Amino acid sequence: MSIAATAPRYRSIVLSRSAIYGLLLALLALAWLTSMTLGYRLYTPGQVWAALFANDGTEAATVIAGLRLPRALIAPLAGAALGMAGTMVQTLSRNRIASPDTLGLNAGASLAVVVATIIFGVQSLVGLSLAAAFGALATAIVVFGVAAGAGGLSPLKIVLVGVTFASLAHAAVEILLTSNEAQLQQLLFWLSGAFVDRPISLFFNGLPVVLVGAAIGFALASSLDAAQADDSTAAGLGVPLAAVRGAAFVAVSLLTGAAVSMAGPVAFVGLVVPHVARRLVGLQHRHQLTAAALTGAIYTTLADVAARFVIYPVEAPVGAITAVVGAIALLVLLRRRLA
Amino acid sequence: MTDMTYRPARAGIGPIGVTTLVAAIFVLLFLAGIGFGSTWIPLEHVAHVLFGGGDKTERLVVLQLRLPRVAAAAIAGGAIAFAGYLLQRITRNELASPGVLGVVDGAALGVVLFMAIFSSETNSLIVSVAWQPLAAALGAIAAIGLVFLLSGQQASTAIRLLLFGIAVAAVCKALTTIFMLVGPIYQASQAARWLAGAVNTINVTEIQLMLLVLVPTGIAAAIAARHLPPADLDDTSSRSIGLNLPAYRILIFFLAALLTAGAVAFAGGVSFIGLLAPHMARLLVGRARAAGIAVSILLGAIILIGADLLIRVAFAPTEVPAGTVTALIGAPYFLYLLMRKDKNNG
Repeated sequence: MSIAATAPRYRSIVLSRSAIYGLLLALLALAWLTSMTLGYRLYTPGQVWAALFANDGTEAATVIAGLRLPRALIAPLAGAALGMAGTMVQTLSRNRIASPDTLGLNAGASLAVVVATIIFGVQSLVGLSLAAAFGALATAIVVFGVAAGAGGLSPLKIVLVGVTFASLAHAAVEILLTSNEAQLQQLLFWLSGAFVDRPISLFFNGLPVVLVGAAIGFALASSLDAAQADDSTAAGLGVPLAAVRGAAFVAVSLLTGAAVSMAGPVAFVGLVVPHVARRLVGLQHRHQLTAAALTGAIYTTLADVAARFVIYPVEAPVGAITAVVGAIALLVLLRRRLA
Repeated sequence: MTDMTYRPARAGIGPIGVTTLVAAIFVLLFLAGIGFGSTWIPLEHVAHVLFGGGDKTERLVVLQLRLPRVAAAAIAGGAIAFAGYLLQRITRNELASPGVLGVVDGAALGVVLFMAIFSSETNSLIVSVAWQPLAAALGAIAAIGLVFLLSGQQASTAIRLLLFGIAVAAVCKALTTIFMLVGPIYQASQAARWLAGAVNTINVTEIQLMLLVLVPTGIAAAIAARHLPPADLDDTSSRSIGLNLPAYRILIFFLAALLTAGAVAFAGGVSFIGLLAPHMARLLVGRARAAGIAVSILLGAIILIGADLLIRVAFAPTEVPAGTVTALIGAPYFLYLLMRKDKNNG
C-alpha cells in the first residue's frame, strides 16, 4: 500500500478521487444514454423510457428493448471486465504493454469457443462462457510457461510469445471455420468483436462470471499493490506471491472469458484502459480496478456507438474500432517506454 | 549476433551439393503437387505434359486445373522466403520476417482497400486486376516505412523492432477488417479466405502478373544482395567499410516489400514462410550467400507447395487456406527460436 502511495507521478492533483469517480459515473450514464438513443433510428430519451416498459410490439419498443438494450448492457459489462483484466495482467507481468490481447488470452478464449461450438457442439451459453474462461486460463499458463522457459519474463519477450501464440490460435480458428462453411459468416463477425445482435441472456450469463472475477480482483487488491514492486520487496511485505499470481490469473481468465463469450475478442480494451485508469486514480489497486472498470465501460459503450456510424449505414464490428485505437496506443506506448 | 554462426550441417556435400539436393526435392514436390488430385497422374506424365506432350485430357487437367495453384504456391512461397532472407540479413535479426514486421498485413490492407474502392455494385473490379500488385506494394512499403520511422534508433534492437512491426501489423489488420465489412458480403467472405493465404483460387492471368512483378524484383534483389554485410560484422564496422549504408538499407527494405507484395497480392497472407525458409537455409548451407538465397527461395516454394498438398490430402474437399498450415508450423518454430536465442544470450 505504502509503495503505491509513494508514486506521485500518477496521482491527479486537480481532482479528488471521489470527484473523479463522480465524473466517470456521469460520463458512463451519458454514454449509456447515447447508446440507447443514437443509431440507425434516433429516439429521444423520453421515447426510450416509454418504449422500455411499453412492450407493445411497436417499432420503437422492438428496437429499443430488443436491440438497443442488450448491447447497451453487454458493452459496458465487457468493457469493465476487460479493463479490470488488463489492469491485473499489467501488474502481474510488471509490463505496461501487457493485456489480454498482447498475451494471446483473447485469441485463446476465441479458439476455445470455436472448438466448443464446432467440435463438441456446445450450444448453451454457460458452456461457452466456461470454454472461453478455460481457453484464456490455458493460454495464460502456456504463454507464461514458454516465456519463463525462454529465460525470464522480460516485458518485451512475453508480449512476443503472446502475439505468436495468438497467431497460432487464429490459424487453428481459421481451419475450423473454413471446414464449417455455414458458420463462417456468423462467426467471422463475432470473431472481430461486436455487441450488436447479442441476445440479452448473454448479459445475465456473463454478469455473475464478471462479478466473481471482480470480487477476486478486489480481494487481492492490497497484495497486488505489493506485487507491483519487485519480487523480494513483495516477499518482504509478507505477500505470498505465487498464490496471489495464481488467484489473479484465475480472475483475469474469468473476466476475459466472460467478455469474449459475450462479445467476441474486443481488441486492445485491456491494453488502453488501465493506462487511463492509472492516470486518473493512481496506483492503489482498489482504485485502479474501480477506475478501470468504469473507464472500460465508458470506452466500449462509446466505441459501440461509434461502430454504428463509422461506415453508416452498415454496422462495423466494434472490435475493429477498438483495434485501430488500441494498436495506435500500443505504438505510442512503445515509443514512450522504449525511447 | 553471435548466434548466427551456424555450422553447415552437411559439410560433406558443400553448399552446391545441398542446393542441388533441395532443387531436386522441389522439382519432385512440384510434379507431385500437380499429379495429386481426384485422379493421380504419374509424375512422368506430368513432366511429359509440361514439356508439351500428353493427350488432350491430361493437358487440360494438368495445365488448366492443377498447374496454376502449384505454380502460384511455388512463386509466392519463394518470393516471401527471399524477402525474409533479405530482412533477416539486413536487420541482423533472425526473428525478422515480412509477417512480423507488418509487411504482409500492410500489403493485405493495400489489396483490401483496392478491392473496396474499385469494386462495382456487382462485385466485379471496375479497373484492371493488374493494378492489384501495385496496391499491395504501396501498402507493404507504407507498413515497413512506418515500422522503421517509428522505431528510429531502436531499429537495431532485435525485439523492439519486432514489437513495432507487430503494432503496425495490428493497425493494418484492424483497418483491413473494417474495409472488408464495407465491401459486399460475397467479397468479404472471399477476402477472408484470401487473407489467410490461399493459392487454390489463383488463375493464369494472376500468375502472369505475379511473375511480371516478381521476376524483375527478384533479379534486382539478387544483385543488390551481393552487398549485404557479412553476418559477423556489426553495424558500425560494416558502415566503416562502406556496407550497410542508410540508402542501401532503404533499397533492401524496398525490394523486400516488393517481393512480399508480389506474393501477397494474389496468394494472401501466407504466414511464417519468410521466417522459416531463410532459417532452414542457414542451417543447411551456413553463410554462403548465393546458395543461401537459392535454398531460401526453394525451401519457401517447397513449404507452400507442401502445405497446399497437405490441405488437399487432409481436408479435402474443403479448401482450408494454406497460410493456416504454415502458421501452425511456423508459430511454434518462432517460439522455439525465441527460447533458444535467450538461452544463448544469457
